[in-house]
Amino acid sequence: MTSIAPALSLEGVSSGYKGLVVLNEVSLSVDRGACVALLGKNGMGKSTLLKTVMGYLPKLRGRVRLGAVDATRLRPHEVARCGVAYAAQEQPLFPDLSIRDNLRLGLPRDDLFDERFADIADLFPVFSTRLRQHAGTLSGGEQKMLLVARGLMQRPELLLLDEITEGLQPSVIERLGRALNWEREQRGTTMLIVEQNVAFALDVADRYLVLKQGAIVDEGEAGAPEAIGHIIDHLKV
Amino acid sequence: MTDHSLARPREAGTAHPARTRRGQGLPWLAGMCLVLTVAGPWLFDTYLLNVLIKALFFAMAAVTVDVLWGYTGHLTFGQSAFFGVGAYAAGLAFTHYGFSPSIAILAALAAVGAAALLALATGWLSFYRGASPFFATVISLVLPIVLMQLVLAGGTYTGSSSGLTGYETFDLSLEAWYVIAAGSLSAVALLAWVVVRSDGGRILVALRDNESRCSYLGLNTAHWRIVLLVVCGAVASLAGFGYGAFSGVVAPELTGFVFGTELIIWVALGGRGTIWGPVLGAVLINVAGSYLSGNMPFLWQLLLGVTFILVILLLPRGLLPLLTAPFLRRGQAAVVPVLGVRAGQSQPANGASRALNLSGVAKRFGSLKVLEGIDLQARGGELVGLIGPNGAGKTTLMRCIADGAERSEGDLELYGHRVLRDGPEQCVRYGLGRKFQNANVFDTMTVAESLRIATTLREQPSWWRRSPTLDLPPYALEVLRVTGLDHCLASVARDLSHGQQQALELAMVLALEPRIVLLDEPTAGLSKAERSQIGQMLSSLAHQYGLCCLLVEHDLDFVKEVATRIVVLHQGRIVMDGSFQDVVESELVRTIYAGSAQAAQGAGQ
Repeated sequence: MTSIAPALSLEGVSSGYKGLVVLNEVSLSVDRGACVALLGKNGMGKSTLLKTVMGYLPKLRGRVRLGAVDATRLRPHEVARCGVAYAAQEQPLFPDLSIRDNLRLGLPRDDLFDERFADIADLFPVFSTRLRQHAGTLSGGEQKMLLVARGLMQRPELLLLDEITEGLQPSVIERLGRALNWEREQRGTTMLIVEQNVAFALDVADRYLVLKQGAIVDEGEAGAPEAIGHIIDHLKV
Repeated sequence: MTDHSLARPREAGTAHPARTRRGQGLPWLAGMCLVLTVAGPWLFDTYLLNVLIKALFFAMAAVTVDVLWGYTGHLTFGQSAFFGVGAYAAGLAFTHYGFSPSIAILAALAAVGAAALLALATGWLSFYRGASPFFATVISLVLPIVLMQLVLAGGTYTGSSSGLTGYETFDLSLEAWYVIAAGSLSAVALLAWVVVRSDGGRILVALRDNESRCSYLGLNTAHWRIVLLVVCGAVASLAGFGYGAFSGVVAPELTGFVFGTELIIWVALGGRGTIWGPVLGAVLINVAGSYLSGNMPFLWQLLLGVTFILVILLLPRGLLPLLTAPFLRRGQAAVVPVLGVRAGQSQPANGASRALNLSGVAKRFGSLKVLEGIDLQARGGELVGLIGPNGAGKTTLMRCIADGAERSEGDLELYGHRVLRDGPEQCVRYGLGRKFQNANVFDTMTVAESLRIATTLREQPSWWRRSPTLDLPPYALEVLRVTGLDHCLASVARDLSHGQQQALELAMVLALEPRIVLLDEPTAGLSKAERSQIGQMLSSLAHQYGLCCLLVEHDLDFVKEVATRIVVLHQGRIVMDGSFQDVVESELVRTIYAGSAQAAQGAGQ
């Protein structure tokens, strides 16, 4: 087991936006099949980290690896081809395409659609009867679900989820938690999730990291009883 | 009552003296303009003066294109039409009525008046409610084409395709013309420069960034755009008048869309959204063109084309930013106003007043019924939590309350004002504020500038300077403090994190001092600790200030903490209305919403 490279590793990665360094030499690794939750207050660099992994932001320093592949210089579509799916917080859907086409665009071939969709149909019954509806006419919460559904249908090796519980009703969050756990058990999908909903994050993840001012300041086992106390201390205003 | 503890940001916030760099730019530029205006006749030979005078009149038109395109984002090919109106006003008047000072004055007035009327009509066509920016651009393309056809069809009166020549005009020396042209251009450009950098001028950028947010801050965007087009049209027309009076020749090409496109190219080459860039672009290209096009007409066109492509590729912001970059590095200290508490918003909680009254409101998209028979009343001081499954119509309901044109049926009253088909800006004037589900902010503007726009309704912004202070109601300051935004007043909204953008939008909405607030997931993207602080602030909005709040939220703990009443929406209808206890413990809500095995069914059907 030790010889297998972690699914994702960052070594001293710095990145940011024009003239503004947001991530400061962050190092972390996510083992295959693990789920790591990135927590922290607003503006601390959580989403920036996901965008950096996906290649949307240039790395100013450091190295990103996806398994054995050096992904430091890869562009977003190349990262996606390495088996990474990303549900971004900005909800990048195609509003004028149907629900089906939005889901289909995550897949390499059309004939995969029915099989993959059957897999997630139970999880999001909203979509089954409405596949032809335009994505732009969905409510905010439903768009969020569509985004997660698209990510899951890609059957990625690494799934990056940015605040997917935002704006969802409690019962859907509950179902989503069960689905992510099932996904990991059945397919061994590796996950890196950014969350404000700490309870959800600790339920799904097995390890957590706390990000502050672009650096990791704390980490631990998600299951540990003292975890929640630690995290709440960090999130205090 | 004013809470003085909230004035803390005054010390905590970065208290840069707001004037440092701003005051110095204007005397410098004005001095340079003056020197160039006065010294020009001695510096340049007759040929160059001739070329420059025309170029300077063109540059005035280019400045108006920059104001419209660079600042407010309205890509217009039509400024040539207004220029042409001015030029033809001079040509026609002097040809048919002869030259005299009184004729000249009348012709200039006619030029301005005709251009203003034309701009009014064009603006009304381009910016009516719901018209897209693309449509406005198409109209701007149609305008010069139609006008040129009119000129061509004018026969001997307009000189048709050969234009008007040889009319008598002002008997002035070349030097005098140069001083007039350079002086007018200086005045126009300096004025434009001061205005776009003032607090009021930021409204133009706000229009470009996010027109819908502008109307939800109470600005009548169509009205603003039309007024601006009229002003720019009048200025371009005066420039055209100057050109026509100077050159003694007017040709139909001056009104055409090719010239309109050239104006755009000069603006893009010089630097869009800089005022001085277009001046530079217009002068450079006209001067270079006059020397080169005579000798090598084909090569010149090629050169111009290649330069344009190179600039677009390598310098997307144009030439001017490249030239000024070395001088701007130092003293880049951002200008940040000092925050203060605005007094006077403490209305006592008036429980009796009916803040919100909906009866029989429905919304349909074709045959799809999203809302049906909504009756909802709320009073000042109430904090109504609106819950329901995803897709139940919560956001649609918010939209129907905030925008009179949205609902398909039913009546809406805000504090006794009947809302007919009025747009959001009218609802805002009746006291409404709306926070959207996804952060709806001005991307390229700083936190301080965005908040200033939000106070436009309360405080007339200055059109010639930036105020060193920014007064906000205490609850808006509280949002800034809790989320740490008071420390990043100079940050551009685009660079903020998602949660900070949400908080900024909330602060902007509260800066309106609304009496009814619609909050669509106000705490989405905020941490638990920030949530509970925002929650306390919302409670105080209702209880201390007597605001009526309508809150969409999925975090039931949060709702329980703040809401005084819960309304449940399901499949477009209100299915329950009561206290938190009654509602959340009900079988119905547990089934459709809060989570149990069969909950899966509810969301979709």
